[in-house]
Amino acid sequence: MITQNAKIAIVDDEVHIRALLEQTLEDLEGEPEILTASNGAEGLALIESERPQLVFLDVMMPLMNGYDVCAAVRKNPELAATTIVMLTAKGQESDRVHGLEVGVNYFMTKPFDPDEILDLARKILQVP
Amino acid sequence: MSKPAAYLKPTWARRQLELAYPLLPAGARVALWFGGKRLAAMGEDGPDLSEDAAGVQTFPLTLEGKMRGMLLLRLPPEAASAAEGIWGDFLVHSLQGVIEAEHARHSVAQEALASYREMALLQRAVTELNHSLKPAAVAASLLKEFDGRKNATDFGAVFLRDADDASYTLIQSFGENAADAFPRLIESRLFAAMAEHPLGDILNNLAEAPLWKGEIQEFQSLLWLPLAVHGENLGLLVLASRRAEGFSAADMKRAQMLVSVAASALRNAQLYAAEQMIFPAFVKVIATAIDAKSPYTAGHCRRVPEIALMLAEKAHLADSASFAAFRLDDEERNVLEIAAMLHDCGKMVTPEWVVDKATKLDSLSNRLDLIALRFEVLRRDAWIDCLRDSADGLPAAEQIYQERLRELDEDFAFLAKCNLGNEFMSPEHVGRIQGIAARRWCNARGEELPLLSENEVYNLCIQRGTLNAEERKIIEEHAVITIRMLSQIPFPRSLRNVTEYAGGHHERMDGNGYPRGLKGEQLSIPARIMAIADIFEALTAHDRPYRKAGTLNWAVEVMYRMKKDGHIDGELFDLFLSEGVYLEYARKHLAASQIDQVDVARYLG
Repeated sequence: MITQNAKIAIVDDEVHIRALLEQTLEDLEGEPEILTASNGAEGLALIESERPQLVFLDVMMPLMNGYDVCAAVRKNPELAATTIVMLTAKGQESDRVHGLEVGVNYFMTKPFDPDEILDLARKILQVP
Repeated sequence: MSKPAAYLKPTWARRQLELAYPLLPAGARVALWFGGKRLAAMGEDGPDLSEDAAGVQTFPLTLEGKMRGMLLLRLPPEAASAAEGIWGDFLVHSLQGVIEAEHARHSVAQEALASYREMALLQRAVTELNHSLKPAAVAASLLKEFDGRKNATDFGAVFLRDADDASYTLIQSFGENAADAFPRLIESRLFAAMAEHPLGDILNNLAEAPLWKGEIQEFQSLLWLPLAVHGENLGLLVLASRRAEGFSAADMKRAQMLVSVAASALRNAQLYAAEQMIFPAFVKVIATAIDAKSPYTAGHCRRVPEIALMLAEKAHLADSASFAAFRLDDEERNVLEIAAMLHDCGKMVTPEWVVDKATKLDSLSNRLDLIALRFEVLRRDAWIDCLRDSADGLPAAEQIYQERLRELDEDFAFLAKCNLGNEFMSPEHVGRIQGIAARRWCNARGEELPLLSENEVYNLCIQRGTLNAEERKIIEEHAVITIRMLSQIPFPRSLRNVTEYAGGHHERMDGNGYPRGLKGEQLSIPARIMAIADIFEALTAHDRPYRKAGTLNWAVEVMYRMKKDGHIDGELFDLFLSEGVYLEYARKHLAASQIDQVDVARYLG
């Protein structure tokens, strides 16, 4: 798969998480385009219009939570190739079952391990 | 450090340029460069603006005092004025402000990410390094953090320090020929100095280190850190690189963090190992004490575990549905061995004269000797009677005397035989003892007494064996005391079954055993195994007060009857025979004279 113009979306209402994730992802080869949204509804609109290959999705957000965003993405066959990584806070691990039900591919616990995020992104986008 | 391009986002920069562009006179051309890239351009198309070209004004963008980009501006010659200089200064100033703010934000974020990395590393390390309580596994987990990752170290090793002689041993290593290289490192003079160093250090140019004689060609830089807890040095982590300047301060910081966790984990592992050794040592001491108490049962507590484990192994492997639920893993093996060593611990409080009671009249002294003396008195009485009768001219005196002597000898021989407890005492036997007891003899004070005391008669009339009811009770007490003693030990979860296994070895399948009278289904398989091991060892032991060492055949015969009587578990006994446990044990521990042919088939089923 050629991912020359890889797009990654970060959907999280916390500005520092967006900033830190963005900065982490800047280390990726091939300079993927990084898009951000600060709530669920905005995030879904962004995913639908920009079709990112990879989405980092927070759980608790205003307007629309991460599960609902994920469920909506999974209902749209045109977005089938979207890999969704859910960012859960420590202690929310028990909600993973729900996450799996609505079609989450991976889970990461906040505070996230930057190297784990990079390893995962490299694997999904198939960049070195 | 992020790439400079990240400090000025193209979309934002383009928009900024678009907003400011209308202020310029018509025909103006502008281009914005940053981090070696053209971010935006406005104005008529044409070849790129060049800073050297005529009429092009350059406004530099800097980052940390270095020029990293620029705004290029060219107006049609007729439109040139002083205003465009102000326009350029203003725009560059606002861009410069954003670049600096972004740069600051990136630095802060970089710090935050470093903390995230550290936290994630610690979290993983704490989990990984405390995963095992084996020192070698802790060392392996520690080395895994340096091996097989991005930017892996070339070589790594963990050495353990012997607290007694301060010597070091290699326990884990990675890297090409590491297992060969690191032992040579221990031999080097440098290693001795490293071991002395309390904080660890980096040597980034080994070739120039005064103590290094190039012992290992591949090593060009070294990083080492002691594994220390509370000032106690447990070992050493050594990383080596093929390159000079192989390690940075960041590598050291990371290693320090991992080593701090690894050292605690190692300490835990060592304490655990020490604790693991203490308990079995105590168990062994207790078993030895019980065995030493009686010369007749010497080695019993040592040999029963062997038989029990051998039989348990066979039960574990057996296909039979009865043993399907029985699993003998390392933990269960340990429980069974401890239980078998402690099964007789209650005997510590059983009086020796009961444990060792060889004959019915044994007590603190051998009372058969007393009876022999009384018989001697009667023999002399008879001799005196004979002399008297002869003096009175009684013709049959000598004959009567001989008659009485024979009678006395026969009676004494009978008592001595009864005393051994080898035979069942029939009512006729009891009658004869009572007859003998009714005879009178005269003691030193001239008192006339029965030949046998009531207690002597009571003991001689013991139907089976040498123990009377009271003594049997004392012996049986040992099983109760075993349970009581073991119940007081706060066994860890893994050993919680010790008491049940140890306390059940005198229970019988039919519920007639002691001390609890439990039935077969209430007894665990290990408890039933213990009963068989205990009986078989006792039957074949070299020397017992109550009889000579039995042969294999005899022991199996006795146990076969016990199986038929509902005493021992028939299936386990069959396994004991069919799998040859009895023979394997016999070859190891019994005298050749005891090992006779056993027709196993006869006793199965």
